Amino acid sequence: MVDIGLTVFNGLAWGMATFLVAAGLTLIFGILHILNFAHGGFFMIGAYVAYSVMLAFGGTMPLWLYLVAAIAAGIAVGGMGWGVDKLILRRLRHVEDAYSLIATYALLLVCVGAVQLVWGLNYLSVMPPPALNSVVFLGDMFMPTYTIFIIACGILAFIGLEIFISHTEMGRLIRVVAADPWMAKLLGLNVRRIYLVTVVFSFALAGLAGGLLMANQSLSPELGGIFLLQAFGVVIVGGMGSIRGAFIAAILLGMIESFGTYFVPQYPGIFFLVALAVILLIKPEGIMGKEQTA
Amino acid sequence: MTRMMEARGIHKSYGPVRVLEDVDFDLEAGEAHVVIGPNGAGKTTLFRCLSGESRIDGGTITLAGEDITGLAGWQRVKRGIGRSFQVARIFPDMSAFENLIVAIETRERVDKGLKSTFGLVAPRAAVRGEAEDLVVELGLEGRLDEPASTLSHGDKKRLELAMSLALKPKLLMLDEPTAGMSQSDRAEAVRLIAQVREKYGLTLLLTEHDMEVVFGLATRLTVLHHGAIIASGEPHKVRADARVREVYLGQH
Amino acid sequence: MIDYRRRMRANLAIAVIGLVLFAVFPLVANSGLVFLAGLVAVNIVFGLSWNLLFSGVGLLSFGHAMFFAGGAYAMAVVSLRLPDLPFAGGLLLGAMTGGIIALVFGYIALRRASGVYFAVLTLAFSELVHIVITKTTFLGRNDGLVGIPRPVINLGVASIDLTSALAYYYFIIVAMAVVAFALWSFQNSPAGRLIQAIRQDPVRTAFLGTDVRSWQLTAFVLSGTIAAFCGAVMVPFAQIASPEIAYWTVSTEPILFTLLGGAGHFWGPAVGAILFGAIDYATRALYGLSEITVGMLLLGVVLLMPGGLLGFLLSRRTAARRLTGSGKRVPMANAEKAT
Repeated sequence: MVDIGLTVFNGLAWGMATFLVAAGLTLIFGILHILNFAHGGFFMIGAYVAYSVMLAFGGTMPLWLYLVAAIAAGIAVGGMGWGVDKLILRRLRHVEDAYSLIATYALLLVCVGAVQLVWGLNYLSVMPPPALNSVVFLGDMFMPTYTIFIIACGILAFIGLEIFISHTEMGRLIRVVAADPWMAKLLGLNVRRIYLVTVVFSFALAGLAGGLLMANQSLSPELGGIFLLQAFGVVIVGGMGSIRGAFIAAILLGMIESFGTYFVPQYPGIFFLVALAVILLIKPEGIMGKEQTA
Repeated sequence: MTRMMEARGIHKSYGPVRVLEDVDFDLEAGEAHVVIGPNGAGKTTLFRCLSGESRIDGGTITLAGEDITGLAGWQRVKRGIGRSFQVARIFPDMSAFENLIVAIETRERVDKGLKSTFGLVAPRAAVRGEAEDLVVELGLEGRLDEPASTLSHGDKKRLELAMSLALKPKLLMLDEPTAGMSQSDRAEAVRLIAQVREKYGLTLLLTEHDMEVVFGLATRLTVLHHGAIIASGEPHKVRADARVREVYLGQH
Repeated sequence: MIDYRRRMRANLAIAVIGLVLFAVFPLVANSGLVFLAGLVAVNIVFGLSWNLLFSGVGLLSFGHAMFFAGGAYAMAVVSLRLPDLPFAGGLLLGAMTGGIIALVFGYIALRRASGVYFAVLTLAFSELVHIVITKTTFLGRNDGLVGIPRPVINLGVASIDLTSALAYYYFIIVAMAVVAFALWSFQNSPAGRLIQAIRQDPVRTAFLGTDVRSWQLTAFVLSGTIAAFCGAVMVPFAQIASPEIAYWTVSTEPILFTLLGGAGHFWGPAVGAILFGAIDYATRALYGLSEITVGMLLLGVVLLMPGGLLGFLLSRRTAARRLTGSGKRVPMANAEKAT
C-alpha cells in the first residue's frame, strides 16, 4: 500500500515538474507551430538566474525569497523571449519545419555556451528553503514538502493557464490566431503582437519553471537537455498545442515512468521513452490533438 | 471494347461530408473519357480514389479485370496507370532532363527489378536516348538544364505529361490538364494529348473545365453532380441531356 | 545536356585534394592535432551518412548517435571479448549493428511518423539506447569500455601494424575515403537519383510507381550502417567507447556539419565537419565559447544563407561568372547541385 502510494506520489512529482517546463513549450507550438528546442536552454537560464538572485541575498532563503527569485527569473527570461522573437522566431515563420527546428537547436547551443561562460562548468547545488525542507508523513508514507510544493505549483500553473486561455481577452485572441492566423489578420487583429505576447509569456514560463525547480538538483549546463526530452514527450503525447492535453499527458507519462521504475528499477527513464514511442505510433496526433488533414 | 477500369458502389467521405455516393463508373479500353461537373461535384475526389491517392470508404475498383481496391497508388502505377496532377508535380530542384531520367529509371526498375538500380555516375545511354526522344516529342527542348522549378506553367504540365508517358502506361489519367493555361496554350495541349493518345494507343481519363478541351478530346462524357453521376455517354448526347442542362444552365 | 564526365572529374579532384591534405597533415602538425584530424575524418563520413537521409529522402533524424554508438560498442565488445576475430570482422559486426538498429527503429518510426514527429521519435530511440548503455554492466555502464587495442592486420604474406596512433590515422583516412567514394557513387546511381526525387516530391515519386516508405527505410538502414561503421572505426583510435558518444548531443553533430557546410551539396557535411573541428580547437581555452560560436553560425546559416557555406560560395562564384560572361552557357547552379 505504502509502496503504491509512494509510486503514485513520485509519478505526480515527475509529471508536474515536467508540466511546468512543457506548458510554455506547448503554448508556443500551438500558435507558432515551432517545436522550440531552445525552451530547455531558457529553462536552464531561469534556474541559474534564480540562483544568482538568491546568492545576491546571501544564499539563505526564506520561502518568499525563493518565490521572488523564481519570479525574477521568469521576468528576465520573458525579456529574453522578447528579443528572441524580434531577432529570430519572427524570421522562422516561413521557413521549412526542419530548418526552424534546427534554428531553435542552434539557439539552445548559444544558451548552453552562455551558461558555461557566465556560471562555469561546475555543478552548483541549491537546497530548498527551510520551510520546504522537511518531510510530511501520511501513515507510513513520507513525502518531502518540496516535492509537494512542486506538485502544487504544477496544478496551480495548469489552473492559471486554463483560466488565461479560456476566460481572458488575450487568451481568446491567442486561440483565434492559433486556429487561423490568416483569418485573424483579415479581421484586423495585430497578429504579430499576439505572437510576441505568446512568445514572451512562454519564455517567462520557462524561466519561472527553472526558478521553481532549481532546488534538489544540481545545476549544470546539461540541465536544459535533461528536462527538454521529457517536455517534448509530454507536449507531443498531449497533442501539440493543447495545455489540457499536456497536463493529462504529464500525469500519464509520470505514472508510467514511476510504476515502470518501481517494477524494473535497473532502467530508470526508459519507460517514459517506450511509452512515448508506443503512444506516438498508436495515436500520432496525441491524446487531445486533432487529426491532421494534410 | 474491353473494359479498362470498373468502379462499383464507390463511397467517399471527408469527415461528415459525403463527397461520393454510390458511384458506378466504367472506362472502356481505348476511349477518351472526360469527367465534368460543377465545382465541388467530386471530380477530383473520384480521380484521387481511382488513382489510389485516396482510400475509398466503400466499393470496389478493378483494372483490366484485376481487383485493385486495396492497392496503394504506387502499386496501381505498376499495373499500368500513369497520372498527372491539377497543379503539376515535378521534382523542382532537378533539371527537366533529370526529371525524365528519374521517371524512365523508375519504369526500368519496375520492369527489371533491382538490377537496374545500381550504376555509376551517369544514366545509361539507352535511358538518356529515351529521354531525348520524349523531349523532342513534347517540344521541351531549350530549357532542359534549368531547374524544373523555373519552367513556365505550361512547360511544367508538359514535363509532367512526358514523365507519365515515360512509364508507358495503358491508362493515362490527367487531372485538369489545361488548368490555368491561355487559350492558345489550350489548343496546343489538346493537340499534344490527342497526338500521344493516338501514337501510344492510350486509354485516357480526364477531368476538365474548359468546354473546348472537353469536346476536342472526349469520346465519352460523364457528368458528376453532388457526388453522383447524372449522365454518361457520347458527348453530343450528354450535351442534349435534360438533367445536365438543368444543372449547368439552370434550365427547366 | 548535363556534363556527367565534368561533374565526375570535379568531384574526383575535390576528393584527391582532400586526401592529400589529410595525408600530409601529420608532417606539419603535432600528435594532438593529428588525433583531432582523425576524428574530423570520421565526422565527415558521419555527416555524409546523415545527409543521405536529410537531403536524400527528406527525413530529419535527431538520433544518429544511436548508430554511431551501436557500431562503436559492438567494435569495443568484439575487440575485448573476441580478440581472435579478425579486425575486419569487428568492423563488419559494428556496421551491421547499426543497420539492425536502423531496421528495427526505422520500421517502427516510419509507419506513422513524419517531419517533426520523426525527429522526436528518433531522439527518443537514441536516448533509449543511451540509457541502456549506461545501465548495462556488460557495456561498462557509465565508465564505458576502455583499453581497446589497435589491430595488426594479418594478410597472410605480410601484416600491417596499426598499433601506433599515426598508422591507425592513415587507416582511418583510407577507410573514410573508400566509404565517401561509395556514398558519392551511390548518390549518382539510379537509386540515388530516386532518393533525391523522394525528398523533392514524395507523392510524385509514388505516382511514378515507387514504394516511397520502403525506400525511406532502405535509406535509413544504409545511413545507420554507415554511421555505425564510423563509430566502429573510431573506437580503436580513441581506445575507449564511452556513453557520451550515445548522448543526444552527438546526434546533433552531423546536423551541425551538414547545415553549416550546406545540405544541398554532397561535400557540404565535409566542409562543415572541418569547420566545426577548427572552431572547437580554436575556442578550447574558454568553456562555452565553442557552443556560442557554433550556435551563432548555425543561426546565421539558417536565417541568412540556407544553402550553407558551400552553397553560399558556389552561388557567388556562379553569379560572378554570369556577370563576367566567362562561364559557359550551361547554367552552373544546377550542374553543380548535389554532385
